[in-house]
Amino acid sequence: MLLTACGSDAGGNGGSSDGDGVTITWWHNSNNEPGLGYYQQVAEDFMADNPGVTIEISAMQHEDMGTKLDAAMQSGDMPDIFMERGGGEMADKIDAGLIRDLTDDAAETIEKLGGSVAGWTLDGRTYALPFSIGVVGFWYNTALFEEAGITDTPTTMDELFETIDALKAAGIDPISVGAGEGWPAAHYWYYFALRECSEEALNTAVSSLQFDDPCFIRAGEALEELIAAEPFNPGFLSTPAQAGATSASGLLATGKVAMELAGHWEPGVMQGLTDDGQGLGENTGWFPFPTTPTGEGDPTAALGGGDAWALSGDAPDEALEFIEYLLSDKVQQGFAENDMGLPTNPAAVDSISDPALAGLLEVRDSAPYVQLYLDTAFGQAVGGAMNDEIALLFAGQATAQDVVDAIEQAAGTAG
Amino acid sequence: MTATTLPGTRVRRRARRDAKSRNPLLYVAALVVVALSLGPVLVGVIGGFRTNAQLAEDPAGLPDPWVLDNYLNVITGAEFWRYALNSTAIALITTGLVVLLGVMAAYPLARYRFRGREALFTIFVMGLLFPATVAIIPLFIIVTRDLGLGNTWWGVALPQAAFALPLTVVILRPFLAAIPTEIEEAALLDGASRLGFFWRILLPLSGPGMVTVGVLAFVTSWNNYMLPLLLLQDRMRTLPLGVADFSSEHAADIAGVYAFTTLAMIPALVFFLAMQKRIVNGLQGAVKG
Amino acid sequence: MADGATRAPSAVATAAAAGPAQETVRTPRTDPPAGPAAAAARRRGISWRQRLEIAVLVAPALVLMVVFVAWPVLRAVQWSFFTWKGYGPLVDFVGLANYVSILTNDVFHGAVRHNLFVVVASIVLQLPLGLAIALLLNRPMYGQGVLRTIVFVPYVLAEVIAGVVWFQLLQPRYGVIDAWLERFGLSGPAQGWLGTPELALYAVMIVLTWKYLGMAVILMLAGLQGIPHDVTEAAEIDGASWWQTQWRITIPLLGPTMRTWAFLSMIGSLQLFDMVWILTRGGPANATTTMATFLLTEGQRRANYGIASAASVVLFVIALVMALTYQRFILSRDNTVDSPRRGKR
Repeated sequence: MLLTACGSDAGGNGGSSDGDGVTITWWHNSNNEPGLGYYQQVAEDFMADNPGVTIEISAMQHEDMGTKLDAAMQSGDMPDIFMERGGGEMADKIDAGLIRDLTDDAAETIEKLGGSVAGWTLDGRTYALPFSIGVVGFWYNTALFEEAGITDTPTTMDELFETIDALKAAGIDPISVGAGEGWPAAHYWYYFALRECSEEALNTAVSSLQFDDPCFIRAGEALEELIAAEPFNPGFLSTPAQAGATSASGLLATGKVAMELAGHWEPGVMQGLTDDGQGLGENTGWFPFPTTPTGEGDPTAALGGGDAWALSGDAPDEALEFIEYLLSDKVQQGFAENDMGLPTNPAAVDSISDPALAGLLEVRDSAPYVQLYLDTAFGQAVGGAMNDEIALLFAGQATAQDVVDAIEQAAGTAG
Repeated sequence: MTATTLPGTRVRRRARRDAKSRNPLLYVAALVVVALSLGPVLVGVIGGFRTNAQLAEDPAGLPDPWVLDNYLNVITGAEFWRYALNSTAIALITTGLVVLLGVMAAYPLARYRFRGREALFTIFVMGLLFPATVAIIPLFIIVTRDLGLGNTWWGVALPQAAFALPLTVVILRPFLAAIPTEIEEAALLDGASRLGFFWRILLPLSGPGMVTVGVLAFVTSWNNYMLPLLLLQDRMRTLPLGVADFSSEHAADIAGVYAFTTLAMIPALVFFLAMQKRIVNGLQGAVKG
Repeated sequence: MADGATRAPSAVATAAAAGPAQETVRTPRTDPPAGPAAAAARRRGISWRQRLEIAVLVAPALVLMVVFVAWPVLRAVQWSFFTWKGYGPLVDFVGLANYVSILTNDVFHGAVRHNLFVVVASIVLQLPLGLAIALLLNRPMYGQGVLRTIVFVPYVLAEVIAGVVWFQLLQPRYGVIDAWLERFGLSGPAQGWLGTPELALYAVMIVLTWKYLGMAVILMLAGLQGIPHDVTEAAEIDGASWWQTQWRITIPLLGPTMRTWAFLSMIGSLQLFDMVWILTRGGPANATTTMATFLLTEGQRRANYGIASAASVVLFVIALVMALTYQRFILSRDNTVDSPRRGKR
């Protein structure tokens, strides 16, 4: 280990060849316990094993990290290690030479992760190592479902509407959604598109940004039908996703609503939103997004996405070693034990302690395919326009056709 | 003073001027103003004395019982004090720069006559029209890459001062111009140079104006969010960043958030309270012509 | 430049807006303003020494503004002619396409409308309120110092802090305001104050008024300090009531202060960003977008830096046109003091 640390030819950022002063900057968004402390410990362990390597950690709130990362990319003063979500955003960074090609240097780890790296691979080259990949579905409060006399979780839209009616009859707000931030609302549209459209239609649309297939209009109409049933929490148009007790996650965590459509992060977020740090605790339940009657998509396909560690174009080799260490059996097992996400290293799969997350992992691994969040897949410019238009649809100010038009228009201007 | 008054009326007027009003309507109006100004703030201050359970049960209630834990947790943590130190240092540097450079620039604009003076003044006025938001990304690049001042006090203070200068010059210029010419003439007759006059007479006399622009610059710096967000990390962060961070890290702990925000506002309020008296006194005790 | 007759009184009060007005009785000016320097300048132009002094005094401020204000803004202007994702070289020149794009964009049109609404509503709401509170605070009364301090509290608070608190207050059903309404048997709007597209802008406007009223009060108070007691007292001795004195004498003398404040308020309203961003991010359904939130959304969240830069140029042009118009038709009457004035006697 010492030898490799010494033999670095670090391209930039204060890299030194004497082994007595390589500083690696690492940005992550686990700014809550247990993640914050765990990553601190992981970095200290690595530094103890690699004398001369210093890791500077910046743990940031998720949105702040996005803002700062954008600014960092523009100034060229990037952190060595940062989080990368793949899709169109990553393609832009590759074009600009801001991200290091890991295909050869991390070949062993990439092989171990197997198909998980697909979302971070472009033209056969892999640019980041995914450490958590999750799927989106409905998280629900089992106690409230019981209170409303609901015994089975809904599997079709018709059953979902019955569930909504039963909850309303019991005086419970059925669903919370953080439409104030756009993307939580947009996830509904993505999922309806996943259910309505065949895999082929979806793939064609993602690569060509042409939405001629009528299934995309049907997806919007299905969403309009759901909104018309008024299942959402009061004030959902301005509700934030995860910040505070009155956010969509906060409302679910404190028993104010019965369910929320969210990803694998939800139990962790809810833990941070309750006094006792338990979230919904043993009342946590999960079911996949229901099927639609006219759907052409595979009913077990899942919407999801993940986070990967990427290196800036000029990051030193020590940084590469460190992210491989982050994907090692040991660190991923600890990651899983702390319920920080859904690990990608197969050796860590059994370490998950939360039963809801463990169930989710099964869904992920048995899905025929996991569609990357459409906004990530399309890149910021198109994805942002799409999310905003879907938020307008939630407000009753846009139609199913408008959403498709907005995406195509943004794609046209974005070139 | 004016020569139009008879000695008798003068005494009477003094008494009238100093008499405190006893009109109850005035105090009712004052109470309404106080309630509206302080109401939202008090919700935060008082919320900090409640537990989260109390807040959840009745958001609009009073503490029962009062708890100090939220406040104690904040002031016994090192983070709060570090943020406060950064905020203070950046605000003081900004204020110093704004007042010094502002009064220097305003002086010739107010008291020299030269061609292009109005054009020069217009340049400063134009500066008012640029919000920092517009140029935030190029600004970030200049500060971090070109000047190497990322994550430093000066890196935030210098641009803040630059954006505060237009208003400062606009306020100070008429202020400096209002100082009577006789004083200047007398000083020049006594052999002072114009720069000597500036340093030794004009600066002390324009104290109240400088306090006004200084307070404005301080408050603006203290409250700034966007620029520090982009430029500062970790140990260098300021209180507003701390507030935003605290309220997302401790999202469930609304009472803690209230306590943190309450404590974060105290230093600026205390500073303003102290300076507010000086502004008023300074304005009232202005030079007699 | 206005003629001397209209300039003299307004100049005094403009100075009073920010500083001492020691002139209690204005003597009509018999000669153009003339300090020794001015006289010298008329005779033989300004000396090299003076030019040097001017340069030394003004240069530091100018350098700071060029580096941190002018240069970044010019960069933004440059970007506005390109399609640029925020990194990589600036190569994709598109001419005026970004401007065409935003000028035909409904969301941007809405943003301009919202800015104009805030400009007008700020003046309509804050001018009378600020004036009333300043007059109130100017009366000798018990607790005056405390009262003054309290009135400035909202203005001194950071937007983040005020935003966090107001956001909690305005929450639907679980917020403090709705909780109070419930006690009186009322209920807030189902979607909440900030979540109802038709109400959100008004809710934001109320918070803005609360937050920035202190600025109006502080300026008016400074202006009032400059109005000599002798003038108002003389009126009162002549039998004028307090109201008559304020209406006939104080308020007219405050005219320039009010116009200066309205100018600053207008510029601030056009640049409105922080509070909106914290409260609504421009939502719901774009009901509260401003030009500044629009450009930040385009830039930071969608990486359309060309479009964001074009929006910032448009924002600047609108501000410039409005400022020049205001200067031309309203402020020109005041003509911010242009030279040292002779004291009385």
